[in-house]
Amino acid sequence: MAEVRYEAASRLYPGAEEPAVNKLNLDIADGELLVLVGPSGCGKSTALRMLAGLETVTSGSVHINGVDVTLKPPQDRDIAMVFQNYALYPSMTVAQNMGFALKQAKVPKAEREAQVREAARILDLTEYLDRKPKNLSGGQRQRVAMGRAIVRKPQVFLMDEPLSNLDAKLRVQTRTELVDLQARLGVTTVYVTHDQVEAMTMGDRVAVLKFGELQQVDAPRTLYSAPANKFVAGFIGSPAMNLLDAEDVDGAPGIAGAAIPLEESVLSQLKSQDLDQVAVGVRPEHLTLGTTGIEGEVTVVEELGSESFVHVTVSHRGEPTTLVVRDRGETETGRGDRVKVDFGGPIHVFGSDGLRVEA
Amino acid sequence: MTSATTSSAAAISHEEEVRRLERREGWKRRLPILPALIFTIVVTQIPFLFTLFYSLTEWRLDKPDPRKFIGVDNYASLPGDKFFRDAAWVSVQMTVMAVLFSLIVGTLLAILLDRKFFGQGLIRTLLITPFLVMPVVAGFMWKTQMFNATFGVINWVLNLFGFDSIEFATRFPLASVVVVLVWQWSPFMMLIVLAGLQGQDQSVLEAARVDGATTWGSFRQITLPQLRPFLELGTLLGAIYLIQVYDHIEVIVGGQPGAKNLPFYIAQRSIGGGNRFGLASSYSIIVVIASIIIANIGLRVLSNLLEDDS
Repeated sequence: MAEVRYEAASRLYPGAEEPAVNKLNLDIADGELLVLVGPSGCGKSTALRMLAGLETVTSGSVHINGVDVTLKPPQDRDIAMVFQNYALYPSMTVAQNMGFALKQAKVPKAEREAQVREAARILDLTEYLDRKPKNLSGGQRQRVAMGRAIVRKPQVFLMDEPLSNLDAKLRVQTRTELVDLQARLGVTTVYVTHDQVEAMTMGDRVAVLKFGELQQVDAPRTLYSAPANKFVAGFIGSPAMNLLDAEDVDGAPGIAGAAIPLEESVLSQLKSQDLDQVAVGVRPEHLTLGTTGIEGEVTVVEELGSESFVHVTVSHRGEPTTLVVRDRGETETGRGDRVKVDFGGPIHVFGSDGLRVEA
Repeated sequence: MTSATTSSAAAISHEEEVRRLERREGWKRRLPILPALIFTIVVTQIPFLFTLFYSLTEWRLDKPDPRKFIGVDNYASLPGDKFFRDAAWVSVQMTVMAVLFSLIVGTLLAILLDRKFFGQGLIRTLLITPFLVMPVVAGFMWKTQMFNATFGVINWVLNLFGFDSIEFATRFPLASVVVVLVWQWSPFMMLIVLAGLQGQDQSVLEAARVDGATTWGSFRQITLPQLRPFLELGTLLGAIYLIQVYDHIEVIVGGQPGAKNLPFYIAQRSIGGGNRFGLASSYSIIVVIASIIIANIGLRVLSNLLEDDS
């Protein structure tokens, strides 16, 4: 049971100009599942490895349960890590893999075996205890890697894209199992992924990183409904938010010649800004196809059965621009149709500095 | 009716065409190998058959008697032949010591090279060079520049510390040859072990660190088991080559007793003045059989290695 704190923690690789992780400040509560998410190269894995002690913290500090562990080696941090490729010990059986950490800690054999059996029971691995990793399927290997972590009863779990080597169906299934397991064990967990769907579905809170800088850390719902800046707005959500540079329509921001319905408080904040630099974003489900609004032509229809996404090309700032609109499933709309797109929900506005303009 | 006949006839000719193309494809693959295969048969297998035949004869060049077929008499005489037993024992000692020590030295060098440092490439190349030196040259270098009682570097160092000079090649013939063999073969072992170390998944070692293993603990429990097939491979390839060593012995200790292995003794008993070609041939067959046994174990190890990868 422990909370984790990053205090202005940075990692600058030798010879690099920019730090891979730049002054990261993050407080993770006891028992929380925090997801670090971002595109590749954003520093999320580096941040995790700094917590593990596998990466030097070049400035700032890292704390586990109130203790400064910045300079401690991994073995003194009481953490367990699940690696992307599982990193199982190839010459050992499943039982030996899971008991390895206890053996290093000189736990007596009988006790060790009892704990391994208990973890194997939780993860449904009992019948595989005598097998070598190479004789297991991908999903079983992933569970052994989990087992190796939970046997330890560590203060913190660190998970570095643990599901990315599984096929799509197993990944979704394991995702929910993992969330359930983490909640039952109540161990603080830091989880790294590049997949924003995974981040949204698993995290108690999600921290979005870009170029080594923390963009926003919030509950998934807040991240979705109130993205702090243009990057988060574009990164979170699938399909992505329609994010466009605004057009000046009679002194107010607009899209394709149409003014956007904005609250007075937002408009007043934009008064001092150059409207060409302002960005507006609307999620596909907050646009509707109807008889009023911006006129355009349908170029692609993505039919998913339960819903469909209609790509409408409109003329915006003099150029053809695509707006994605969510429509009901089994839509009659087809390629080439002339349609009208209207606003039907919240509109996000980002000032010339890229930050959200709050109403 | 007509159309059906035509189509079946067409099907047959199509099948024939496929077979013809497959045959041609097979020859396309075999043809380039043929010259090498024929050459190998001519220079290794035919002489081997001759040797096998000679080993069943009494054939001496110092007597006018014709070559005489004597069955397995040569082989029957081997167990009672003290020179043969000595040579076989020297072969065993020399091979085992040279393989074992070069494996240990090679592994230690590989561990040192398996970390990043400035000038790594240069040092790796320098460490490999002993393996590239011709055996005869290596023998002469060690005999004249290292072991020599008057001019040798080792004795010069000994003298600096007040010890008397030692004629190593005479006093310790077997050890002297083994030292040179270890010097030449450690780089080979180093390369094989280095390949094993560098093929190791780094995240596995990181996992061991997170799991609380010490440096020595993770080497013993994780790295060494993974190196096993590489160590076995090095042992077998080294043994196959080292059982045949001749040059080093000829150059360093010559005809002195104490370091004569089987190949050396074979040469001595035949072209080296012994003139007993039939008997020497039977020794050769014994060495070949020993090598085949080692090579067979080697192949099994290799196939295990490939199985592990899949």
